[in-house]
Amino acid sequence: MATEARKKEILKGLYDGVVEFDEDKVVELSNAVLAEDVDAYEAIMDGLAAGMEHVGDLYANQEYFVPEVLMCSDALYAGLDILRPHLSGKEADVRGQVVIGTVEGDVHDIGKNLVKMMFDVAGFEVHDLGRDVKLEKFVEEQMKTDSEIVALSALMTTSMLAMPKVIEMIKARNPDAMIMVGGAPISQEVADNYGADGYAQNAANAVQEAIQMVSRLREMGKA
Amino acid sequence: MAEQPQPRQETMSPGERMGAILMRQRPDRVPFMPFIFGYCARNVGYPIARVYDDPEKSFWAQMWTAEMFGYDGGAMYAYASMGGWEFGGEIKMPVSEWEQAPIVAKFPAETPEAVDALEIPDVETAGCYPIALEFNKIQQQFGMPIMVMAFGCFTPAGNIAEVDKLCRWMMKQPDVAHKLLRKCTDFSKKVVDYYVEHFPNYPMMAFTGEASAANQIISPKQFEEFVLPYQKEIHDHILASGIRNIFCHICGEQNLNLKYWAQMEYGDPGILSFGHEVDLSTAIEYFGDKHAIAGNVEPQIIQNGTNQQVYELCKAAIDKAKMAPSGYLLMAGCEVPVQAPPYNIYVMKKAVMEHGFYD
Repeated sequence: MATEARKKEILKGLYDGVVEFDEDKVVELSNAVLAEDVDAYEAIMDGLAAGMEHVGDLYANQEYFVPEVLMCSDALYAGLDILRPHLSGKEADVRGQVVIGTVEGDVHDIGKNLVKMMFDVAGFEVHDLGRDVKLEKFVEEQMKTDSEIVALSALMTTSMLAMPKVIEMIKARNPDAMIMVGGAPISQEVADNYGADGYAQNAANAVQEAIQMVSRLREMGKA
Repeated sequence: MAEQPQPRQETMSPGERMGAILMRQRPDRVPFMPFIFGYCARNVGYPIARVYDDPEKSFWAQMWTAEMFGYDGGAMYAYASMGGWEFGGEIKMPVSEWEQAPIVAKFPAETPEAVDALEIPDVETAGCYPIALEFNKIQQQFGMPIMVMAFGCFTPAGNIAEVDKLCRWMMKQPDVAHKLLRKCTDFSKKVVDYYVEHFPNYPMMAFTGEASAANQIISPKQFEEFVLPYQKEIHDHILASGIRNIFCHICGEQNLNLKYWAQMEYGDPGILSFGHEVDLSTAIEYFGDKHAIAGNVEPQIIQNGTNQQVYELCKAAIDKAKMAPSGYLLMAGCEVPVQAPPYNIYVMKKAVMEHGFYD
């Protein structure tokens, strides 16, 4: 059993390992979490996830760019792969379910993948449909998984026009599903015009929006 | 009530107007070159793909649309997803109503070993080049200048390996990224050489562009290492080959990269176009003394905005950039979306006619 000081050292090391995209360090410390009986949930939330949150700030401040964020993401997943199987009981419960994908006509998925990662680390179960996803597929997957949230991404000005269509299709089948949109040409105004329930300006903001959406659904007794 | 500006009489043809820009002379008015491809096919009743896969239909769709709206740019063959097909992958032409341009369907080199194995393709058979060459021959037939699609480096590399893989190599295996960029650069130079050899003494301008090197993706420091030397080499090669002018589209958020773009040559003069993310005053400050500036009307507004919004954006751009020392062309910040309302393109011309004349 690790001492309090050792636990802090491990958590700080995981945080730094993600921020400094030191995958070896994250793997070593994640194994130390298990060997020294540190709580895996705490290691994920206060180490890995906290580190990734800081990475989000660094990206927003143009100190990190996509290549660095991808490396941080690789380090994060290396830790999650080791720690997640050791979550138990309530800690392993998912925060909610998300269907995510880049809409038909659009193959640009870097932004979508970063949002997916933030959902992953925040404890959502993510159903990733990939890129250039046919609109019907979003509807089918939402119905099949009963996901509370559908997250739609687009980079192209033409493919963004698919968003109001797919929102309409999903709402027609399940009015309670919450739809979030994001991507370079999207703004809050566009999201409102399209009838979306939320707008993700960036990956970190996507998760905050999603958590609020799930809370709203739970308050209404629909999730 | 404010007096409505009245349209003025044009005294130059589109060719004379563009010629004036390239001779560093003031044209009668700001040229209007919308940067428009797939829209033209749709505009004349063709599937969008025809502008990319049928040289004859592509040429006429563009010429007829230019005639209809009265803009100055003629026809050119280009799209942003070049690289994958040319180096042995697969391309998917736009088919659904949500698609605007070709997209890479299969990346030809997703591993370092595959990058090693890539061979510089033959221009006559590489991907879209046979189509582009047919298109250029039609331009030649009608005595129009040829726009040489000079391939490029970073964006094509991302279309060969996939952008996220290229980004990871930049961080972990920079030698692999450099190897791929070297191959793209060598192919670009080969393309330029081919055109110079096969269209001897014919008026040509080279088109280069860079989208994936935007600061939404890479840092200025990464730009300095992975883009600047290759893009500069391509531009130097174009100009050394005798092509006098480069039209370079600096796409997306590139503010942090401008100091590096300013280290490259674009000809005498070049035409540099910018997205809405780069303020036209900033562009003029960096490049305006030597080169004509084009841009930067936001495509999303051209597609989704009201005609009043589009008109105001164009008026603001003209007011800001009209007096740029080496000239200004009104242009969309990136390709005009295929589903833009026709009236929004009409009001772009209207803004030029009401605010773009030089006294």
